Amino acid sequence: MDTSNPAILVNGNLLPTHVRKRVRTVIQVLNSDRGSVIGKSTDDQQLVIKGSPPSTPLTKFVEVIGIADSDKSIQAEIWTNFGDNFDASSFNQLCQLANGEYQHLFL
Amino acid sequence: MSINLTPNSIAAINGGDLNLKPLVQVLDIKQIGTSQERYRLLISDSVSTHHAMLATQLNDRVKTGRVKKGSVVQLIDYMCSDVQNRRIVVVLNMETIVLDCDIIGNPKLGDMTAQKTVSNLNSAQPGRSVYDNRGNIQSFRPAFNAQNPGSNNMQGLQTNPLLQSQGMQGSRPMLMVPNGSNGVLRSATGKNNNNTQTYAPTVQPAYQPPPSYRNQGPIMKNEAPARVIPISALNPYQGRWAIKARVTAKGDLRRYNNAKGDGKVFSFDLLDSDGGEIRATCFNAVVDRFYDVIEVGRVYLISKGGLKPAQKNFNHLKNEWEIFLEAASTVDLCPEEDGGSIPQQQFDFKPISEIESAENNSILDIIGIVISVKPSVPILRKNGMETQRRTVGMKDSSGRSVELTLWGDFCNKEGQNLQELVDSEMFPVLAVKAGKVSDFTGKSVGTISSTQLFINPDIPEAHVLSDWFARIGQNSAAVSISRDVVPSGSKNEIRKTVSQIKEEGLGRSDKPDWVTVKATITYFKLDSFCYPACPLMIGDRQCNKKATRSGTRWVCDRCSQEFDECDYRYLLQFQIQDHTGLAWVTAFQESGEEIMGYPAKEVYQLKHEAQDEARLSDVFRSRVFYPYLFRLKIKEEMYADETKVKITVVRADKIDYSSETRHMLDTISRFRRY
Repeated sequence: MDTSNPAILVNGNLLPTHVRKRVRTVIQVLNSDRGSVIGKSTDDQQLVIKGSPPSTPLTKFVEVIGIADSDKSIQAEIWTNFGDNFDASSFNQLCQLANGEYQHLFL
Repeated sequence: MSINLTPNSIAAINGGDLNLKPLVQVLDIKQIGTSQERYRLLISDSVSTHHAMLATQLNDRVKTGRVKKGSVVQLIDYMCSDVQNRRIVVVLNMETIVLDCDIIGNPKLGDMTAQKTVSNLNSAQPGRSVYDNRGNIQSFRPAFNAQNPGSNNMQGLQTNPLLQSQGMQGSRPMLMVPNGSNGVLRSATGKNNNNTQTYAPTVQPAYQPPPSYRNQGPIMKNEAPARVIPISALNPYQGRWAIKARVTAKGDLRRYNNAKGDGKVFSFDLLDSDGGEIRATCFNAVVDRFYDVIEVGRVYLISKGGLKPAQKNFNHLKNEWEIFLEAASTVDLCPEEDGGSIPQQQFDFKPISEIESAENNSILDIIGIVISVKPSVPILRKNGMETQRRTVGMKDSSGRSVELTLWGDFCNKEGQNLQELVDSEMFPVLAVKAGKVSDFTGKSVGTISSTQLFINPDIPEAHVLSDWFARIGQNSAAVSISRDVVPSGSKNEIRKTVSQIKEEGLGRSDKPDWVTVKATITYFKLDSFCYPACPLMIGDRQCNKKATRSGTRWVCDRCSQEFDECDYRYLLQFQIQDHTGLAWVTAFQESGEEIMGYPAKEVYQLKHEAQDEARLSDVFRSRVFYPYLFRLKIKEEMYADETKVKITVVRADKIDYSSETRHMLDTISRFRRY
């Protein structure tokens, strides 16, 4: 497992605290365009994912890993389809735990 | 005849006479001392007064009101010492003869509030002794004592709602000893009615009673009625007592059969104005006397019962004693005015958040808003009887919710009532008295036979709660302390890890333990994974007993029949592991098929007929390292001489990641608290 470039698990609220850092999050795709995708974070915030999505069609939920370039957008490097069934609230709680009490377990 | 105190006893005591055992009157009681509680009495012999210190072992006499200002007491044991040029008398033992009494005589008073006492003497001359069977109620009512300091509580008694009015006197004619001369008279006059005292020497030292009030023949059994005392003061060494209390609960009439034959018993709970509670029990003939007399909510005067230690298993009231009513016991209904200060019911509510830390099987009272009611389900009990069970969800302002389990009759009566209220969105307040804490799934509360439920009771706590609910509670989430697992499976799931099975010694008790474990299959025992089973039907179920070969056919012991083809059923033995440890478990047909994905017969054929070892091991290898949510039945069983703990897989569910995640998040949040 390549741990050389860890990404911080974030949701909409946590993204601003990690600007210019490598982050990962799961978004629900709202709108997909050339060059960017508008997605809804697991805590109902709108995020812009820049970069080129993969050639395969995006499923409803997508995980993106990349650099946060502002508090509402991510320059994505890796895109992973997470399918259409995804428990957003559990992921959201995971983000909170990973950045809160249990931060030391994640990075 | 008035009570005469022992004349000049003060002088005698001061002179060194320690054997006098005089009758004196307590004019004043003052608490002295900051670090240690000491009481100083001002005692009078009707002529002079003196201070006396009360020995600390008698402190509770004052605190429970067995001695108060105006009481006539007999000093039984006392000593004198000289301190700083003053003679200090210390009272080591005394007996209260009369609790409330006018100032007797005209003692030369000292520097105190006793001054006021003189002014408050009313029409009842101190000299008159009139019968009073109430004597000294509510001596623990400092309120009116303060208003009428030392005034013999005349007015106090008059205003005291608990005081028995003539009604009581009327019902106790036997207690009058109408003696021509000046024995115990009943005062029926309006002037003074029953507010003045008589002497009712309730306790006498064995020897020489002071002659002053022995003016009527030999000492006979004391016919005077007992004094009403607070329930909290009851004890078996008390001597005569009477309590006035309201019935808060009436038990059922129960019949039993033991070595001595048949019997019947019933109990009822009592509450007095002090908040003291005690249970009273009657057996056999006594039941007949009182069962119909006792009604919940009425106030009774009860006397001449026995006192024995309370049976903590059944009696959850806060009292170490229980009353046993006997043939000589008396139970008299009191008019409601007298019970004005006795509450209908006494609760000691705990917030729902405290239930979580309460001990299993402890008894407590709770109050909360009912937010959900499930329908009744019939439950088969251990003794084969069927009963109803109904779960009710309650929440309170502590931000927690709990499940209340109603059993039996509660399901139909209160349960139905609650259901209707919740359905029409009028979420009611429910007060539970004497519910039992259970830790079956998380913590929950269940009803027992002595539980009482009150829907929308008219008590302050209920009003506060419904107010909270209307403003905040309706919309706030409450954390449930009653569920261990998000209900993905059945409601009674207890989650354990593999190591906990051994650590906690599950399966060792009489009944098997049922737990849920999330674990991964790590190894299958390939030798015998199934057995030949009898396919014949017994009733509507297959026999499934192991069939034995007989020639080319099979025979079953149970059915005593032969058949050509047998069924193959799984008897899978495999190892499961989680992050804590590993265990061997057995799965039968249903769960076996779930795990293997193939019917047992196919796998059997693969092994024995096709002899395809490669494919066989492939099949098993493909099933290993899969995680499941196992429902396990754990029981200790005897094999030859040794006992082994056997674990059976009753169900093997594939993991539903979403609900499993929620369960883990829930567990994490609980973990956080510690």
